[in-house]
Amino acid sequence: MSAAVRPLCDLTRRSFLGDVTTALGGVGLLHLLSGSALGESSTWQPGQGQTHHPAKAKRVLQIFCPGAASHMDLWEHKPALEKYHGQPLPGEEDMVSFQGKNGNLMKSPWAFERSGQTGKPISSMLPNMARHVDDIAFLHGMHSKTNTHGPGCVFMNTGHATEGFPSAGAWISYALGSENQNLPTYVAISDLRGEPPNGKANWSNGFLPARHQGLMMSDQKPIRNLARPESVTPAEELAARDLLQQLNQRFASSHPANSDLQARLAAYELAARMQMSAPEVADLSRESDVVHELYATRDPNHLKAAYGRNCLLARRLLERGVRYVNLYCASRASGVDGLLNWDAHKTLKADYERHCPIFDQPTAALLTDLKRTGLLDDTLVLWTTEFGRMPTHQAGTAGRDHNPDGFTCWMMGAGVRGGVSHGATDEFGRRAEQHPTTVWDFYATVLHLLGYDHERLTWYHNGLDRRLTDVHGNVIKEVLG
Amino acid sequence: MRFFSPWHVLFLLAVMLISAASPNLAGAQNASVDFERDIAPVIQTHCIRCHHPGNPKGDVSLATADDLTENGYLIAGDPDSSHLIELILADDDGEAEMPKDGKALSIEQTALIRRWIDQGAKWPDAVIVREKPKADASWWALQPLAADTDRTIDDYVSAQLAEHGLELSPRADRRTLIRRVTYDLTGLPPTPEQVQAFVDDPDPQAYEKLVDQLLQSPRYGERWGRHWLDVVRFGESNGFERNVIINDLWPFRDYVIRSINADKPFDQFIREHIAGDVIAPDNPDVAVGSAFLVAGPYDDVGNQDPVQAAQIRANTLDEIIRATSEAFLGLTVGCARCHDHKFDPITQEDYYGLYASFAGIRHGSVPLATPQEKHERSQSLEPLEKQKRDIEKQLGALDKQILQRANSQREAFQQGWTRPPVDRTGTEETFDPVNAKFVRLVCLSQDGNPNAANGFRIDEMEVWSDGPDPRNVALARNGGKATGPARQIEDFPDAYGPQLAIDGKAGARFIATGNHLTIELEQPTIIRRVIFSSARGESNPDHSKFRFVAEYRIEVSEDGETWKQIASGDDRQPIDQQAFLEHRLRRLATSEEDRQARASLQKELNQIKQEIAKVPPLPSAWIGRRVPADAKGPFHVFLGGSPQKKGPVVVPSSLSALDRAANSAHQPMAGEDLVSTGSSRLAEGPKESPQKPDAAYRLEPGTEEAERRLALANWLVHPNNPLTPRVLANRLWHYHFGTGIVDTPSDFGFMGGRPTHPELLDLLAIRLQENGWHLKKLHRQILLSATYRQSSGYRPDAAKIDADARLLWRFPPRRLSAEEIRDTILQISGKLDLTPGGPGFRLYHFMQDNVCTYVPLDEHGPETYRRAVYHQNARASVVDLMTDFDQPDCAFSTPRRAETTTPLQALTMLNHQFTLDMADALAKRLESDSGNQLDGQIERAYALCYARSPTQTERQACRELARSHGLSALCRVLLNSSELIYLH
Repeated sequence: MSAAVRPLCDLTRRSFLGDVTTALGGVGLLHLLSGSALGESSTWQPGQGQTHHPAKAKRVLQIFCPGAASHMDLWEHKPALEKYHGQPLPGEEDMVSFQGKNGNLMKSPWAFERSGQTGKPISSMLPNMARHVDDIAFLHGMHSKTNTHGPGCVFMNTGHATEGFPSAGAWISYALGSENQNLPTYVAISDLRGEPPNGKANWSNGFLPARHQGLMMSDQKPIRNLARPESVTPAEELAARDLLQQLNQRFASSHPANSDLQARLAAYELAARMQMSAPEVADLSRESDVVHELYATRDPNHLKAAYGRNCLLARRLLERGVRYVNLYCASRASGVDGLLNWDAHKTLKADYERHCPIFDQPTAALLTDLKRTGLLDDTLVLWTTEFGRMPTHQAGTAGRDHNPDGFTCWMMGAGVRGGVSHGATDEFGRRAEQHPTTVWDFYATVLHLLGYDHERLTWYHNGLDRRLTDVHGNVIKEVLG
Repeated sequence: MRFFSPWHVLFLLAVMLISAASPNLAGAQNASVDFERDIAPVIQTHCIRCHHPGNPKGDVSLATADDLTENGYLIAGDPDSSHLIELILADDDGEAEMPKDGKALSIEQTALIRRWIDQGAKWPDAVIVREKPKADASWWALQPLAADTDRTIDDYVSAQLAEHGLELSPRADRRTLIRRVTYDLTGLPPTPEQVQAFVDDPDPQAYEKLVDQLLQSPRYGERWGRHWLDVVRFGESNGFERNVIINDLWPFRDYVIRSINADKPFDQFIREHIAGDVIAPDNPDVAVGSAFLVAGPYDDVGNQDPVQAAQIRANTLDEIIRATSEAFLGLTVGCARCHDHKFDPITQEDYYGLYASFAGIRHGSVPLATPQEKHERSQSLEPLEKQKRDIEKQLGALDKQILQRANSQREAFQQGWTRPPVDRTGTEETFDPVNAKFVRLVCLSQDGNPNAANGFRIDEMEVWSDGPDPRNVALARNGGKATGPARQIEDFPDAYGPQLAIDGKAGARFIATGNHLTIELEQPTIIRRVIFSSARGESNPDHSKFRFVAEYRIEVSEDGETWKQIASGDDRQPIDQQAFLEHRLRRLATSEEDRQARASLQKELNQIKQEIAKVPPLPSAWIGRRVPADAKGPFHVFLGGSPQKKGPVVVPSSLSALDRAANSAHQPMAGEDLVSTGSSRLAEGPKESPQKPDAAYRLEPGTEEAERRLALANWLVHPNNPLTPRVLANRLWHYHFGTGIVDTPSDFGFMGGRPTHPELLDLLAIRLQENGWHLKKLHRQILLSATYRQSSGYRPDAAKIDADARLLWRFPPRRLSAEEIRDTILQISGKLDLTPGGPGFRLYHFMQDNVCTYVPLDEHGPETYRRAVYHQNARASVVDLMTDFDQPDCAFSTPRRAETTTPLQALTMLNHQFTLDMADALAKRLESDSGNQLDGQIERAYALCYARSPTQTERQACRELARSHGLSALCRVLLNSSELIYLH
């Protein structure tokens, strides 16, 4: 046989989204051709909990604020904006960006306050988040390659600005597999206000097998098709499943070589276990009043309460071994920009005075809770957005336009050195200047913390061994603990 | 323009150079150094991977001499001052700064480079050093087709099996065979009657007859059309941020199905994909083929930033280039966007030659009609349009007359305008105290458009009570309730709702779609003041985000039915713009007579407009626009893929790697000389190949956009191009057997699979050409082979040698595709609606608020009971059964479906209402087909689902469930069974 006959990565271990055999083995061809498999020992198998090197993190919580949350109004203090407020941005007086012309420099509408032991200045709009700064490693030198929300979000989630690539969560699901066999490996929690820009492409499995897709659930929307239909009685369900099991078992036995048929039997069993486990995870009533208070789940601001409930759900999922939780705070670009997400083109002050209170308390509560329960020790927390905003105001408005050239993301938890601010934009916040970092560096670091060499985690697709980090990426050593 | 001689394209020479690179090493100190012979190979082997143009990692490029000399790396005649030498010289430990990721150059090599610099560092202009791809022009897939055409499919398969000590399995039984071939050709199960007739047919040619029947079935085009739609990444929304649904791409889907059913020669079909609009501009049935170009995703968000806009445009063309090269050539040309392909012999010039070919394409709908249809429409429209113009003229005259009258009274009017104009940051009305249960703001004219009374926004409206302790009684927390037609978002109700005007916060606003905002107070209250705004506290209130009322009335009511005006803006100055001034003046000067005259004209106008709307529009289709201005060159290589870094000029041309194959392949068939048809102007070929290949082309820069695509289309299917028929033949084999002879059907390059049966593949490709590119003949040849007709039975001894049966010692079993599963369930339940063609149905609810959201449906009505190929497949939408069973998101071409097994499939198949509905339908069908005898019903169910009878045990088990829980419960189980969705 020629080298074209590709070994199937036939997984034997059962996991929620899949025990699954697949007809498409995409393990990096070059590695196979060159005779060296992914791991040093050449026994590395995807989906078995194995890593390339010892891992610091076992699971990931990624909080995503779509709409391009402004770095200079939340995380990266720019005193120069106060000093030069109303004056032109030197060298870019006639700048044309995403929505058009820009005006002069505009200071942040809010003061920054020094916080924590490190004295890190944080926007006074985030008083609760400010309490966590000593545990956070800020990346102030992030820059993107697109200034458009959809491609930007997809880029931030998949390492590629076009659709069709697997998101980070899908890569982790593929690499690591499941920790809890009765729950999905990867969950995407979208906001009450709707899906983020580019919607489901943000938690897509791309060309990885379907079991690696992020499963959608939130406090407001349970997993689809989870519940037994009301018209089917429990007795009927039991009898039906019993017969089904018999029929499928008989068919599988008569085709012993077809492992898919065994996988199907297992899939039905797993589905049944999932039907029991998932409602328990989603049942927030089991939490104490103190916890509800902490997360603001009963806040009169229904958007804040909804997000708070999703934060609490995220904690419950992580606690039960879900590997990757994508938690969204805000949604897409609506008919009025800045209304449903962080895209404050025209009315920065009013927009962020709506969004910050929704985000601040519940997120901070979630972090506190992860710390309290010890989950933070092996959970990596990421805060991301697709790009930043301009230091100038958009011509004729009191808002900021898209800025792909500089923005902030941060990490916290397992293996991350807290209290670090790595990289910086220039004095106005226009461009990443000191230690610029990319999405690829970001995920090279994430994968490193999870025990993977980002250059060796690959999947063959349409002519290339594809990676989460494309053909780029360096581990950001400065944020490692 | 100068044509560079891309160094690695001189393959034979390059190979010779590499292997002969050493002789000079040991040569005399003073021997003359030849760049191409001595230096280029060193650079190619050790440097160029990082140091190529446009690679920021590489810093400096070693592709040509320019960078090196400009940056002082190289000073001709002075090796000691040349920085390059410093970088490559090894230190005492044998380590050098460069090459960074490899061993230091040998002493001989550095000495040679020294001498070359010393001798003047001559680097011929035309030589560019490029990285050598892993595969060169001698790559198997690029060679001319070659097979022994006296041998058959079975000869080839059996011979290879024999080499491994294997043989074909015995023939499958008829029951298995009819199920296999019916699904294969139609995507549907055979009916029990068809199965029985076939099993009982005494004719030894029964199978041949069956195959012929199935190939004639219209269901065949639906099944194989679906395969093709996967390959051409057909999707009916544009993807990216807005992901707007596309409602007129279905004519392309119908075209594909129609063409495949008609067995249109596939070379013609491919030519129509690239240039249907050029080949037959007046024939919509052909022109629609070119919708292929724009059937992929693209970013339609307007971007004012010119650098980003250029990048997005390049991404859009990249998508077309990839789709084209992968679908037809099985080459991943897209990899040559930023640098020469690292694996396959595809240069950046090749890539940008295609870029130039597609540069005139823009996504979008265009009317697609015959000249007759166009003529008829303009004939019916002409008189109506004329009437419309006449009435509009009369209306204009009337308005002008009113305005003239108004202007004569202008001063009198103006005296009444004592107050300042409306103010977006706060407009206040005080009035005599009045009792009110309801207060409303009525908009007469909006401040962005004087002729519109809607579209205004209100961030807050306050209503203050009279008395010593005034309260804002409008506030929700004081019991106020706001109503008024508002813009809606389905999945986020109240995003722009009237409640925002009484929430005490100014940040979000009510957006009116009607002409009023009404506030109901908790109880009747004496009020005396109202304040309303759209930009309260804003420093830049002029932005259109804050559209406001320009002319208005405030009215109150005690019962919500009879209203009394208590204030208006009529005594304010109008907004300081001519249009608003005129609007006010006209309103004031309009007499009752004017009003009636105007109303009557308006009525006539509306009638005419309605009649115009009744004239059926020309059919339109999403084939994209052709924009000659975009196609105007010159076109450049983009270094590193960046439109901001322009490299050498390119012209539309065929792929260089195929020149050799195309040159030496068998001659075109009689009467065919495709490339030189039309008026394609062939430019002089590249210097290094004086013998012009008859299939290859290189067009003059000024060649028309249409001709470029025509040249490409002709080249793709030129008889001397071996790739296209090879790739197509492999696709056929792939769909028949589950895996192709090459198991990466869209990648015949180095990273793709190698053919298990190379000569068989060529045989199929040659047959395809001989058959006049008619697929049905080739299907027939494959389907009648013993290889196809053999059993899928498992043989452990054979499996030990070839577990996946790539050598085909058995027919490989497979799971049904998502479409087959849904179609099967509908067919056996008796619900399948076979209506072909037309707009697709949707299994999601579509919502749009700037961007679009697709929410899967909880119930599937009868309008969805059509074949799944007619589903309107939007990108990035997840639709239960279809997605669960691996229907791909069409972001990319899908040459091969995944086949996964997940618990989500179980959840959907057990619990979605569709399964329950179909289980009920199947139960009803069983009752109606087989009467009320349970055993008969079970027998019938097994025939429908599995084309067989139940065993005694199965019958007993089914009986028990049906007796305790009803026939539907049994049907739900059968629909979930593995046997239903696996094929042997």
